[in-house]
Amino acid sequence: MSTSTSQGVRLEAVSKTYGSETVVRDISLTIPQGEFFTLLGPSGSGKTTTLSMIAGFTLPDGGRIHIDGKDATRAPPRDRGLGMVFQNYAIFPHLDVFGNVAFPLNVRKVPKPEVAKRVAGALEMVKLTSFEKRFARELSGGQQQRVALARAIVGHPPVVLMDEPLGALDKNLRYHMQVEIKEISRRLGMTVIYVTHDQEEALTMSDRIAIMNRGSIAQIGPPREVYERPGSAFVARFLGEANLIAAKREGGALRGAGGAWFEVASDRPQAAGGQVFVRPEKVSILPEGGAPSANQIAGTVRHTAFLGNVVRYEVTLPDGQIVLCDATNASGTVLRQPGEAVRLGWQRADALLLEA
Amino acid sequence: MRNDRLTLSPSRRRFLMLGGAALAAPYVIAGPARAAGQVIVRTPGGAYDDIMRRHVYEPFTKETGITVMPVAATVSKLLAMFRANNVELDLIDTGDGPLVTLGRMGALAPIDYGSWKWSKPEDVGADYRHDTRVANFVYSTVLAYNKTRFPEGQHPRSWADFWDAGKFPGPRMLADMASGQPDLEIALLADGVPRDKIYPIDIDRAFKSLSRIRPQIRKFWDTGALSAQMLSDQEVVMGSIWNGRLQTLIDKGAPLGFDWNENMIQVQALSVFKGSPNQANAQKLIDFMMQPEVQAKYSMDLQYGPTNQKAFGHVPAEHLTRMPGGPNSKQIGFMRDVSWWESNRERVNRQWSRWILG
Amino acid sequence: MPLRLAAKWALIAPALALLLLLFITPIGWFIWESLTELGSLEEVWLETQAVLGSRAILGAILNTNGIALTVTVMVLVIGYPLSYALSRARGLAFSLVLLCIVIPYFTSVIVRTYAWMVILGRNGLINQILLGLGFVSEPVDLLYNRTGVIIGMTYVLLPYMVLTLYAAMKAVDQRLLQAAEGMGAKPMAVFAKVFLPLTLHGVTAGSLIVFILALGFFITPALMGGPGDIMMAMLIEREIELSHNWPVAALMTIVLLGITLALYALYGRVSDKAEGGFAR
Repeated sequence: MSTSTSQGVRLEAVSKTYGSETVVRDISLTIPQGEFFTLLGPSGSGKTTTLSMIAGFTLPDGGRIHIDGKDATRAPPRDRGLGMVFQNYAIFPHLDVFGNVAFPLNVRKVPKPEVAKRVAGALEMVKLTSFEKRFARELSGGQQQRVALARAIVGHPPVVLMDEPLGALDKNLRYHMQVEIKEISRRLGMTVIYVTHDQEEALTMSDRIAIMNRGSIAQIGPPREVYERPGSAFVARFLGEANLIAAKREGGALRGAGGAWFEVASDRPQAAGGQVFVRPEKVSILPEGGAPSANQIAGTVRHTAFLGNVVRYEVTLPDGQIVLCDATNASGTVLRQPGEAVRLGWQRADALLLEA
Repeated sequence: MRNDRLTLSPSRRRFLMLGGAALAAPYVIAGPARAAGQVIVRTPGGAYDDIMRRHVYEPFTKETGITVMPVAATVSKLLAMFRANNVELDLIDTGDGPLVTLGRMGALAPIDYGSWKWSKPEDVGADYRHDTRVANFVYSTVLAYNKTRFPEGQHPRSWADFWDAGKFPGPRMLADMASGQPDLEIALLADGVPRDKIYPIDIDRAFKSLSRIRPQIRKFWDTGALSAQMLSDQEVVMGSIWNGRLQTLIDKGAPLGFDWNENMIQVQALSVFKGSPNQANAQKLIDFMMQPEVQAKYSMDLQYGPTNQKAFGHVPAEHLTRMPGGPNSKQIGFMRDVSWWESNRERVNRQWSRWILG
Repeated sequence: MPLRLAAKWALIAPALALLLLLFITPIGWFIWESLTELGSLEEVWLETQAVLGSRAILGAILNTNGIALTVTVMVLVIGYPLSYALSRARGLAFSLVLLCIVIPYFTSVIVRTYAWMVILGRNGLINQILLGLGFVSEPVDLLYNRTGVIIGMTYVLLPYMVLTLYAAMKAVDQRLLQAAEGMGAKPMAVFAKVFLPLTLHGVTAGSLIVFILALGFFITPALMGGPGDIMMAMLIEREIELSHNWPVAALMTIVLLGITLALYALYGRVSDKAEGGFAR
């Protein structure tokens, strides 16, 4: 269970089929030691099954899994030396906090004094010192979460798996725990494989994110990259609000409704058309009377939502498409009212052409 | 038995009334009763009912139009019914012991011998005729043995032999207190008491005698069914058993034999429950059941003995040898004294408990 | 929270009333009526002394508790693995095991007991097998002694334990077992450190039910026991059926009821303590 020489986790063409349904299809991944890696996807995308195969609770039908450089494809969970935080925490109701956190050490026959020392350390790290004698039912959700975390890290495992660990917490607590988990994982140099369906959480915490869809990895990369450079409409939509504006290639240029034309940072020159992707916060309302240029479109405000720091406009284009524009609520901002005609624009660098 | 226990406080009566009503409920026939009416009889149930239905109840109904309803009830239920003053049973067909007790409590109507038209009271043995009860058959406790262990001629012939484990080795059985009464008479016979000197039973002597044979006793049986089971399963090589139960096994081919010597004759009897709804019908059924031909038929099927002495005349000779109360059994056996038992059962019960657990 | 408490009582009240009417009232009346028959308190005291001082009753109390305890242990030892298998079985296997456990309930105790007598007798199935295989040269006495009583009662009472334990085992969160395994516990450790503690309340409840039911047995020991295997219920039955002595029967009933209630109180304290440690 030493961290220094560890080699992370590697999946080679891993598949899992239940009956006629393939839930994980040919996944290959390399997660280097110390990385905070997130499997993100909607429910049913295969992310939990993938995690379960890494943990050893589910055996893959094909492919190989290497943990710390060793082939662990068929090893039982107990021999994989992983730390785990379960959905709903899985705190043992018959053991107090100390007993819960000491559990992974006790079943591995760690000497008593050593157990006491390590448990104290883990509890300190999750700020639960002096809670040793409490039982799960005497703890709040956040405290139970901390116990689960302490129990996962108490053995200093090189790799910790976390399955939607914050799903049951309210938003505020969730943010605090995100920060804490991130902080602890960095301090201990652990590899964390984190499963969530919450894209904000994934973006906040991860070094890299694998977005999963229908059993496959749709895209993999650092948060900013997958957010700003989605490879598909699915990824673009899953990671937040996205404008996807229909475009056709006419005479080498991408043309949209109402005479607009687009220039993008990443084109697909072979394609006859597609969808121009641009995030709402990259779209701005242009002042009156500028010269027409690329990446400008005219439309009518359909709805104005004042969100505090941001004002969100829904703008209808001449062909009926709707484009979202998030304008910063800077000083002196004048709110546009529904029915007003506006011109929207964005930078070439913020736009991509995606498959239709 | 202490008499004060039989006088009831009013509240006790009310309480028992509830119980009595509940007990009687199943016997009350819904809908209009037939013109000739009915008679409700407590019986031992099972195969007994089938035989009685065939030879007594159905011919009786044919003759009189009166329907006969056999029902099961334990003695304590009968007592509770009487105490609750809620008697729904007309006729009780049971061992004469409980009838003695019920009679002493004043629960029984006199047998109306004067009204008999089918049977003659004087044909019924004097031992079997009483004011409030009349015996309908007799049965015997006999010494049965396994023929494969003890071939004919080398078998135990007396209760003294039964007690002689050196000469006749093997596990045995005797009656348990729970069967109603343990075999104290047999214990005295084994100890050398002559047949006519058994009563009043010297309880201490009887238990001392029982103690001598106890190591050989595999089990004390509490029901006729269990005693038959133990003999046919060869769990025991000999034991006391009611002759009817035994005869059934022998007729099925079990390698069992018995000796009439020192057989203990016991009596099943009929009584009319005082205050029951169908008094006259109950008296009629008794009269009908006491006829020689009727008694001969059901006695043969039951493997027991008739109480109407004329009934023996209707029994084939080869069957007479197996009938208790007949010439084979009466001279060499004895009648169990039911009055002694009704007066002493509680005392014996206490002593039995101490002895069996000691 | 008085409102929630009131609601709780409102829910329990009908069942409580029914119990009171059907169970407590008759027993109360029986005891009251029987003892008032004795006439005076002095008489009651004298009878009580006689009953409690009787060697027969003390012997029966010892027998009753000894048999009930042995049967409880046997039922637990057999029932725990059986319940575990049942909690794990699915589909046909589950139905079959459950059927085997429950079907005997459709026949009377007497029929089942006679069936055992056929199997356990000196010339019964088991002895024939043992003799046939040469394990023994003489038939083994499995019937009409304490062994017979234990076997018979264990069989009759097994379903109570199995169904209680089954419920407790089904309630165990499977994710906890998986979690333990993931944390490095070997199967034995998963069982000893997680599964067993989580089903312990089922063990206590099942044992208590079995023990209390065993205290009141009388058909099985009467049929399958030896001369000395007398239990309390058998004595009570004889007092009522043979001696028609209600007062003594009532006093014996009080003794038996007292033992049962004392045990139940003990269970209440133990389980309260255990409850303190559970999340549910």
